[in-house]
Amino acid sequence: MFLHRKRHGYRLDHHEKKRKKESREAHERSHKARKMIGLKAKLYHKQRHAEKIQMKKTIKMHEQRKTKQKNDDKTPEGAVPAYLLDREGQSRAKVLSNMIKQKRKEKAGKWEVPLPKVRAQGETEVLKVIRTGKRQKKAWKRMVTKVCFVGDGFTRKPPKYERFIRPMGLRFKKAHVTHPELKATFCLPILGVKKNPSSPLYTSLGVITKGTVVEVNVSELGLVTQGGKVIWGKYAQVTNNPENDGCINAVLLV
Amino acid sequence: MCVSVSGHQGAPLRDSLRLRPPGLFRQQRNTGALLSVPSVDNNVSDIMALYNFKKIMVVPTAKDFIDITLSKTQRKTPTVIHKHYQIHRIRHFYMRKVKFTQQNYHDRLTQILTDFPKLDDIHPFYADLMNVLYDKDHYKLALGQLNIAKNLIDNVAKDYVRLMKYGDSLYRCKQLKRAALGRMCTILKRQKSSLEYLEQVRQHLSRLPSIDPNTRTLLLCGYPNVGKSSFINKVTRADVDVQPYAFTTKSLFVGHMDYRYLRWQVVDTPGILDHPLEDRNTIEMQAITALAHLRAAVLYVMDASEQCGHTLQEQLELFSNIRPLFANKPLIIVANKCDVKKLSELSEEKQKIFADLSAEGIQVIETSTLTEEGVMQVKAEACDQLLAHRVNTKMKGKKVHDVLNRLHLAMPAKRDEKERPPFIPEGAAMRRKAMEVDAPKRKLERDLEVELGDDYVLDLQKYWDLMNEDEKHDKIPEVWEGHNIADYIDPDIMKKLEELEKEEELKERAGEYDSDDESEDEEMQEIRVLAKQIREKKQLLVMESKEKDVHGPRMPRTATKVERKQLEKEMGNLGLDMSDKDDSHYAQQARRSRSVAVKRKRESSAPPTSRTRSQSASRPPRDQLGLRDPKMAKKAKKMMKNSQKGMNRQGRKGESDRHVFDLKPKHLLAGKRKSGTTDRR
Repeated sequence: MFLHRKRHGYRLDHHEKKRKKESREAHERSHKARKMIGLKAKLYHKQRHAEKIQMKKTIKMHEQRKTKQKNDDKTPEGAVPAYLLDREGQSRAKVLSNMIKQKRKEKAGKWEVPLPKVRAQGETEVLKVIRTGKRQKKAWKRMVTKVCFVGDGFTRKPPKYERFIRPMGLRFKKAHVTHPELKATFCLPILGVKKNPSSPLYTSLGVITKGTVVEVNVSELGLVTQGGKVIWGKYAQVTNNPENDGCINAVLLV
Repeated sequence: MCVSVSGHQGAPLRDSLRLRPPGLFRQQRNTGALLSVPSVDNNVSDIMALYNFKKIMVVPTAKDFIDITLSKTQRKTPTVIHKHYQIHRIRHFYMRKVKFTQQNYHDRLTQILTDFPKLDDIHPFYADLMNVLYDKDHYKLALGQLNIAKNLIDNVAKDYVRLMKYGDSLYRCKQLKRAALGRMCTILKRQKSSLEYLEQVRQHLSRLPSIDPNTRTLLLCGYPNVGKSSFINKVTRADVDVQPYAFTTKSLFVGHMDYRYLRWQVVDTPGILDHPLEDRNTIEMQAITALAHLRAAVLYVMDASEQCGHTLQEQLELFSNIRPLFANKPLIIVANKCDVKKLSELSEEKQKIFADLSAEGIQVIETSTLTEEGVMQVKAEACDQLLAHRVNTKMKGKKVHDVLNRLHLAMPAKRDEKERPPFIPEGAAMRRKAMEVDAPKRKLERDLEVELGDDYVLDLQKYWDLMNEDEKHDKIPEVWEGHNIADYIDPDIMKKLEELEKEEELKERAGEYDSDDESEDEEMQEIRVLAKQIREKKQLLVMESKEKDVHGPRMPRTATKVERKQLEKEMGNLGLDMSDKDDSHYAQQARRSRSVAVKRKRESSAPPTSRTRSQSASRPPRDQLGLRDPKMAKKAKKMMKNSQKGMNRQGRKGESDRHVFDLKPKHLLAGKRKSGTTDRR
């Protein structure tokens, strides 16, 4: 194409046409934005919004260079304008609220967990009734409908006697654990379920719901105690609904 | 005596391999890169068809890829689902979406992976060229990444489909589907750089010149600016850029030419500078690759006048450096730009260089691409050498024996000592001698025409053989002294005329010019007589009917009653025997006609017969009631027709006809509610 251009040059009205087409762009874009409907419009508007934000930022940056700004840092802390001189400072209120918060924390418990309160899951939600028997009348079996963890050496009880069924499709072995300070996420194997906030029954079954504290194998991270021993297990709290997302996301409790 | 084997031996074999089994399923679509796959024997490396890299599918960017697939999922799968549906239906609905997305990604990625040529499967020339241009490792890595992404997507889909089986509510299934699609799209987002790279590769690949590595090729190489591109421009129709600066040609170019009724490829390379292999840049490496892999005749172009900026010594250095690449290839040295400086004008040492080269057995030809001298000679020499070389290699190969075994030249055994030389007629021998001597031929009319151009007039009279040469261009009169000149062209013309006339008379008498009627038999003659009669009768009838002058509608012939007498008369004329009057058919008809009202013969003055007897004659028919004259009647009729038009258009029989032909038209009620208002259908 460039060869053709080199040899034959441009069309006689090429530059005119190009200039006009470019100047028409704005009109066409606005027409499109007004007339579009439906999903396409949503996506387009989202994209355009992001573009506009960027544009505005760059414009602002350019303008900042040109104009002079009032420098806010020059006024020292605590300097108060004349009409507020006789008001008491707000610092005391701050101290008070801090104290209250502290007390509350002490009441709460030993640990500080990222999700202190979680919605309790009722039994009907977590366990589904399975009918058995010749006439499907017996209803003593239950199937777990949430994600669960079973240990390595787990073997089922004989099917006739097992009361709680944990389906294989819902058994997970790995969790995506985020280190809160490093802000990095690792895929670590689960060692066991420490506590499920809804019920000790779930803990013993190994059901993992939102807010469950789980022990994970952190040997990958290479943490070392002060004594020089390698840490290889740590607690993490689950932060999502694993049965809805298909994966277990957790935050490491440091 | 041996038969020389030349030309494309590989052609018939290649054609048979081109037939591929139809109906290959989509994932094996390899029609992109190759036109024929040597499925039988992978070692047959010379049966590789021409490469067409233009058929590779466009590689979309990551963002586009995701957008396309997701919007496709949204459009092609059902969109309506409600909470109250049965759970298996909900599950199926969402599982279908996940699987559909996975299928799309999988298909597209597979297509990309198969379209791009595998470096191990293509001809080493192309493999090397691609390595030079795109870096083999990077290329393989990019394709590998896409493969991994494809497998990951498949796994994700599998997992989430498995999980969805335990979904017990719409919300849960929906979240799982959302998670699955999101995961697949994230996997693809990570492949952004690979996809970009592959798109660029594809664009460049489709613009590579299609060089067939196996056919007859001439390869031009040498320093930059020595005249390789001008040479290819002269010899083929290729239009390569020729500029005074070095490295004008930055990649390989191909041109095609004909010689001895065969197609030849001429490959132009970018110039090579003299430094070791590791230091060479991409452009030079392309030239080196071409040299290394193409089995071609090499034309090493040197610049005798040193206009390219490099001395002859340097050029010789380069030549000896890349000499090993010329092994097994016919070589010709082209001393270009001889219009500037002829070889004989060069200094002693320079001439010695050329003398050395020719002493080694390499042919040195002087050319000038500007004046075109020597170019054809180079072409002829190179082509001949290459042909001979190819024939020799083929003879040494294994396949020749298949053909040779089938050929047998039979020489007749001598039965006596008599010499039987080939017979060449004199004319042919003389003509051949004339051709060889190249004697000046008789000037053709055509030559004269070309010379004179517009002034040329075809003058055949100049070839006449007359006693008096001056009279050639005289006009011939038509009459002279009262006699027609045309009569005296031939001295015997009168005698000839008499003879001709006599002959004609004889012929006529003998009956040669009579028609074939006499040969017909009696039957034919009878038929002819009858036909004549029929024709006459028909004409009479036509004339009669024209005279009749009937007003109003014409009744068919059978509507009017035929009188018995007339019937009998006509039939009697035709020859039927009508004397047997005992026909009951007649009598019945006569009886019937008497009891019913007598049908009057149609006369123009009689009123229409549609009326019954009960009606009085004074009442005019309904459509003539109240109308004064035919003009008004016409208008009335028109008004009637107009009022019917509306009903007719609507297809209704009348005002009360409310029948709807299509109660639920498909074009209004089918399909999704895509856009626009939804308050009506």
